[in-house]
Formats: sequence, C-alpha cells, structure tokens
Amino acid sequence: MTGFLRRRAFTSLLPLIAVLLGVFFLARLTGDPANLYLPVSATPEQRQQFIERNGLDDPVWAQMWDYLGGVLRLDFGESLRTGESAATMALRAFPATLQLAFSTMLIAVVGAVVIGSWAAYRPNSLADRISGFLSMTAASVPDFWFAVIGVWVFAVGLGWLPTSGVTGGMASWVLPVATLVIRPLGVLTQVVRGAMVSALSAPYVRLARSKGAGDLRVVTHHSLRNAAAPALTVAGDLMVGLINGAVVVETIFGWPGIGKLMIDSILGRDFAVLQACVLLTAVSIFVLNILIDIGYALLDARVREKVPA
Amino acid sequence: MLSPPFSRSRGRFGVVGVLALALLASGCTVANSEYVTGGGAGGLRIVLPQEPPTLEACQSSLTATGVVIRSNITEPLVERDADSGELRPKLATAWEQTSDETWTFTLREGVTFTDGTPFDAAAAAFTIDRAVNSDLGCEVEGYVFGDTDLDVEVVNDTTLAVSTPEPDPILPLRLSFVEMVSTRTSATEKVRVPIGTGPYRVADWQAGQRLSLESNPSYWGDAPAYQNVNYVWRAEGSVRAAMVTNGEADIATSLAPEDGAGELAVAYRNNETTALRMQSDEPPLDDLRIRQAVNYVIDRNTLVRSLFENLATPAGELIPEGIVGYNPDERVWPYDPSRAKQLVDDARADGVPVDTEIRLIGRTAQFPRIEETIEVIQNELEKIGLNVKIQMMDTSTQLTYQIRPFPEDTGPYLLMIMHGNQAGDAAFTLDQYMLAEGYQSSWGTAEFDSLIDAAEALKGDDRQAAFEKLWPYEQEKVVQYAYIAHMSAILAKSASVSYQPDSATGDEMRLAEMSPVS
Repeated sequence: MTGFLRRRAFTSLLPLIAVLLGVFFLARLTGDPANLYLPVSATPEQRQQFIERNGLDDPVWAQMWDYLGGVLRLDFGESLRTGESAATMALRAFPATLQLAFSTMLIAVVGAVVIGSWAAYRPNSLADRISGFLSMTAASVPDFWFAVIGVWVFAVGLGWLPTSGVTGGMASWVLPVATLVIRPLGVLTQVVRGAMVSALSAPYVRLARSKGAGDLRVVTHHSLRNAAAPALTVAGDLMVGLINGAVVVETIFGWPGIGKLMIDSILGRDFAVLQACVLLTAVSIFVLNILIDIGYALLDARVREKVPA
Repeated sequence: MLSPPFSRSRGRFGVVGVLALALLASGCTVANSEYVTGGGAGGLRIVLPQEPPTLEACQSSLTATGVVIRSNITEPLVERDADSGELRPKLATAWEQTSDETWTFTLREGVTFTDGTPFDAAAAAFTIDRAVNSDLGCEVEGYVFGDTDLDVEVVNDTTLAVSTPEPDPILPLRLSFVEMVSTRTSATEKVRVPIGTGPYRVADWQAGQRLSLESNPSYWGDAPAYQNVNYVWRAEGSVRAAMVTNGEADIATSLAPEDGAGELAVAYRNNETTALRMQSDEPPLDDLRIRQAVNYVIDRNTLVRSLFENLATPAGELIPEGIVGYNPDERVWPYDPSRAKQLVDDARADGVPVDTEIRLIGRTAQFPRIEETIEVIQNELEKIGLNVKIQMMDTSTQLTYQIRPFPEDTGPYLLMIMHGNQAGDAAFTLDQYMLAEGYQSSWGTAEFDSLIDAAEALKGDDRQAAFEKLWPYEQEKVVQYAYIAHMSAILAKSASVSYQPDSATGDEMRLAEMSPVS
C-alpha cells in the first residue's frame, strides 16, 4: 500500500506543477491589474509606481521563479485588493466550501443508496421508471436555474427559507445544499441502481435468498457492498466537481467559499489569491483522489490484490 | 469466501463514515456562528453588491469602500450637499481663500477620533499629507488631485492653511474627498480599518461574510438612530431584492428594474451619464460627418422608454443637473436616420472608407440591459451603412480601451462609457473626458482645450457661464461623444426604514440619515 501511495503521489505531482504554472500564465493573460487598482485618472508616474511596487515590471519568467520560490516557502504573496496574505484568504474560505461539498455529498450518497436500491429491487416497475426519469432530469439541469427558482419559490414566494447567507442558522443551508445535491443525487442514483440490479441477480445473492435471508438483509448486507465500489468512484468524481464547481451556487447565495473567492479574484485580477485558491483546490483534489483509491481498494479485494504492498 | 477479509463496519465507514467525519472535521465554524442580525432593537441591515475590498480611508473614491466609510466611519473637513451642490461644514466650520494659492480652514473644536486622539489641525495635516503627498498610491490622490502636491501648514490647533502650486478655485471641494483619520494611523502603509470621527465605528468584520458597525459613543454630533448596522453582500441583484422583500435586509442597493423589488423599489437620480465615445483618430470615425451620423441615428427616447423603463432621461452632455457647469438648455441630438444615412453617403462619395469594420465595445453588466442597448445601437448603425461589430468585455479589459494609453492598431471603435461625476464640478469631467490628451479622451482640439482651461480657472457665476458654453461647442465642433442618457439607480427599502436616497447615495450612503419609521 505504501508503494502504491508513493507512486500515486509521484504521478500526481506532474499535473500539480502543470496546474501551478498554467494558472500563473493564464492569469497574466487576462489583463493588467493596474487598470483596475488605480483610479482612471492616475498619472503615468502613479501607474509606474504601482507596477514596480507589485513586481509587475519584471520579466514574466522572473515573476514565475519568484512565485515558485515563494510557494516552496509557503509564501503565496499578498492580495492586491485587500493587502492580506493570499494563503490566509484561501484557507479562510476553504472550510466553507468543504462543509458545503461534504454535506451535499453525504445527502447525495444516502439518498442515492436508498432510492437506487429501491428502484433496483423491482426493475422496470413504476417506481423504477419514475426514479429513472427524475434522476435523469436532475443530472442534466444546470445549478443556477435551480438556485434562482429555489429563491423565488421558497424564499420569496413561500417565505420558508432565507434567500442566502451562511449565518442564518441551518435554514440558510437548505437552498445551497438542495441546489448542489440535485446533480450528484441524480447521477449517483443511476449508478447505484445499475450496480444493484446486477448485484441482486448475482449467484451469491440467489444463494443467500435460498438460505432464507430476508429482502432487507439481502439488499443491505449482500448486494450493497458490491454495488458500492462503482458508486464510490463516481461519488469521488462528483466530489471533485463539487469542490471545484460550487462557484455559481456560492456566488448566488453569498457563500464565502473558495469558488466565490476565485471568481472575485479573477474579476479583480488578484493574481496571488487566484493562484493560492487554485493550488489549494488542486492539492485537495489530489488528496481526495488518493482517498478514493484507498476506499476503492478497501471495498474491493480484487483491486487491493493488484496493489503490491 | 463471500465475506471480505475486512469488517463490515469498516466497509461502510469507507463510504458514509468518511464523509460524515470529514464534515465534522472541517469545523462547523460557519454553521455555528451566531448571526447578530442587527434587526429588531436598534439595528439596520444593508445588502451591497460586493464586499468592500478595504476600508482604508484614502481609498474612499472606490465605490465599494466609500459607500461604507464616507461620513459614517470617517468624515471630511467639508461635505457637498448632493442636491444643491453647496459645500457644508463638517469637521471644518468655516473656510476662506486667504491668498491666490491658499485656503484657510477653521476646524471644529472638541472632536476626538474613536481611538481617543483629538482631531485638530495637526491631525488634518497628517491626513492630507498621508493621502495626497505620500507614496501610498491612494485612490483619492489620483482621482481628485492628479499629480498636484499640497502644502499644508498648521497655523494653530484649530486653523489649517492649505496651498496649491497654482490657484485652485475648488480646493475645498477637492478636500471634501479626504476623509480624516487618527494620527496613530500608519503613514507608510495602507490600513484595512480606519479610525475616524464619524457617527459609527467598525465593531466586527468577518471577511467574506459580514461587516458590523456600532454607533460611536463619543460622536461630536447627534447620535444616529440605529445603534448597530450590519452589511452583507450578494452578487445577484435578484437575491438582493428578495432579501428586502423577504425581510432579511432593510436596504438593498444597485438593483435593476427586473430584480423584483416591487413596491419596495425606490428610484433616484445618480449622476451617471451614458455615452458612446468615438475613437476619432482612425477612418471612418475621423470624419466629422460619420460622428454626426452616429449621433443622429441613436434613438435616445426609445432607448429610455423601452430599455431603461423611463428611469433615465435623454442626454446632450456628459454631466447631469446638479453639477456645477451643467447647461440647463441642454440640446439633445434629434433622431434622424435619413439625415444620418445622407451623411454617411456623402462621406462615402468623398472617398471615406465607411465600410471599414468598427467595433462597438460594451462592458458587461455596466448598467442594466447594456447588452440590449448595444444591440439596438448596432442595428441602427448598420442600417445607415456602417459596418459595426459588437464586442462585450469585462471591466478590466474594457478599461484598457477607456483610459490612456489606448491599445494601438486596434482599428476604429465606439466605446460605451458611463461617467459619474461625484465631485459636483464639471472640471472633474472636462479634464479627463474632454481635453485632447485627457486620460479618458480619444481626441479634442487645441481651441477646445484652451476654452476648458480658461473656464476652469474661473469662480462662481463666471465659472458656471463659461462651462455652459462648452457643451454646445463640443456637439458642434468636436463631436467626440454620442451622449445617450442621464441614468437613475434603484434601491430597495423596507417599509420600516425612513430614508431618502440622493444623487450621492451610490458613493456615500449616510447611515445617520436613516431612521426607523415610528
């Protein structure tokens, strides 16, 4: 397992470096921050002062070395907008995104297991068709649409929920989580259903049934474990998507997470903060992928056996 | 054989347990934070489009910063009445021009900053040196003073003399942008939170989430009606409006008509004027007839009626009523497409390359329905025989076209701008937008430059009269702009709050003017 982890870490290092450099250069293609940070009436001298103060007059390669050196010392530079350390800002925003992503995923997984198993238990029944239709729809409707409709119906129309925010107690979690959960729930339900259909018809399940195991026991103790591996892989991918892509939901609901910070940094040409956000996200996705691999190996002996200790 | 070698509980742990633990481990700081809504007893809740990037007082010309701090946390020596344009005493009780280059201010006595240090001439001098004469690169320096340094002299505790290299008839107005800060403020670095003399001070700023102010117990003036004020920010206009209709906030700013604030929406004039700037150094826009044609073919009345929902008025100059220098007999170009087409045809006959592609550049989300406005204008320009391509840009990219140095070899373009003169004097507009080499000006004439310079050196009625003549001159002889409309803004206000927004509200929302409806 250690060897597996070591190899996995090594192969993930290259994409990480590519992301690091990619965001550095792409950010610099988006325009000169001096335009945004100086008043439109700034004199050429003030402009030059700003550029020099922020090291923007160095050749881009020198800026890159400077940046990489900083990363090694865990110094990610300062925000142009707020003057705070970029790392502090990114780390402060990240827990909010993680909380949103993990609660969403928890609900999606539990929901998908229940609905998927129920549908798979009686394939092609009315229940199966309804869940199939709903999960297909859920998997294909864009986030922002659900978000805006949710606000109109539940906050403005019915007045049951706050429109946005994080500080209004659990009620303020409902709309953001509900918006985010729809797609993973739809996708996972389909995966669980598919895996459960084949698990339920496997010989060992028939054997268990013939030995007198009840319906509930067959589903929970015999089939779910075998259905879990493919679901876990898909859940991992969806989780990556949640961490990476909560941007729209965070912006609409004023959720102070990393997605919103990234968007603000892009619009504000706040390179240091953008770079810190992207790097933090990339590292966490890298860690998440390793966790998924481990989980996968733990669940499926065949995978584990292929992994030399 | 059927049982895997690891325990069942661990198997489940792998899927659901990890998620549950991770949720707990990620720290429920967000879920557990108590939100002092500030509503109910003595509190006010305001939702803004964006978080202030900083509350540094010398950055108060930044809209997102100024709207929170100006006249709330910090105060200037004098303030401008948004309706009359007159200057009113604030931390200075009187001021007079004591020589051509010098203005002398008499300061209010008995005022202290919220850190306990006294406000006196030394503090005022410190602030002006810090904001205008330092290397901090303050927003207010470039915005209001350009590269002019001020000579500040402390005469005694309550008397301050400020001199400029050249006589400046509007120095007190310029100084109304300098927010006074305590002498304990760093003079070498910008600070995030200012120490001022205003009716409020910062109580708590949870970055990303909210900003709370509390009333200043030692305020020199009348105590404000609300003890606590909470600001939050939401990017979506429809969410901001819904927060007020839903009772989550008392005031929401920067709304569009379609955001759905319903009867809680309040429209008010906001000093912003939209216009197309014509980059006149390349054909075909270097031909006066083409620039006139562009002006004739914009149907301002229809734009105002259908796209701006009558919340604007057609414009014939770049400043609205209420600004010193506004011409009340404003002439708006008539909509005359056949005349426009004739002008283009004439130019074509004279060999002007009217088929050259012209870019029509707009800034995304600059004002509500900008996309539709740009499309309507493009359509009209195409009809008179010009070859116009739309290009929408984000703020930063659009600014590279709006301010000097302009990008080179880009071909001719028309640039949608929206100018807000928050200083209250046409000089701030003319210097930037009208002088041939102004920072936001694409061209001009030597004669127009000298007329502007002459007008700006005058005072009082002479100044007003000289400015008034500049607008028709620009329309006839220069034609750098196709003015479109003087705009309005919308805020949503809960029925429980009494507040009358004015033309300065977008940049300076005075909390002391708000009170509960009794």
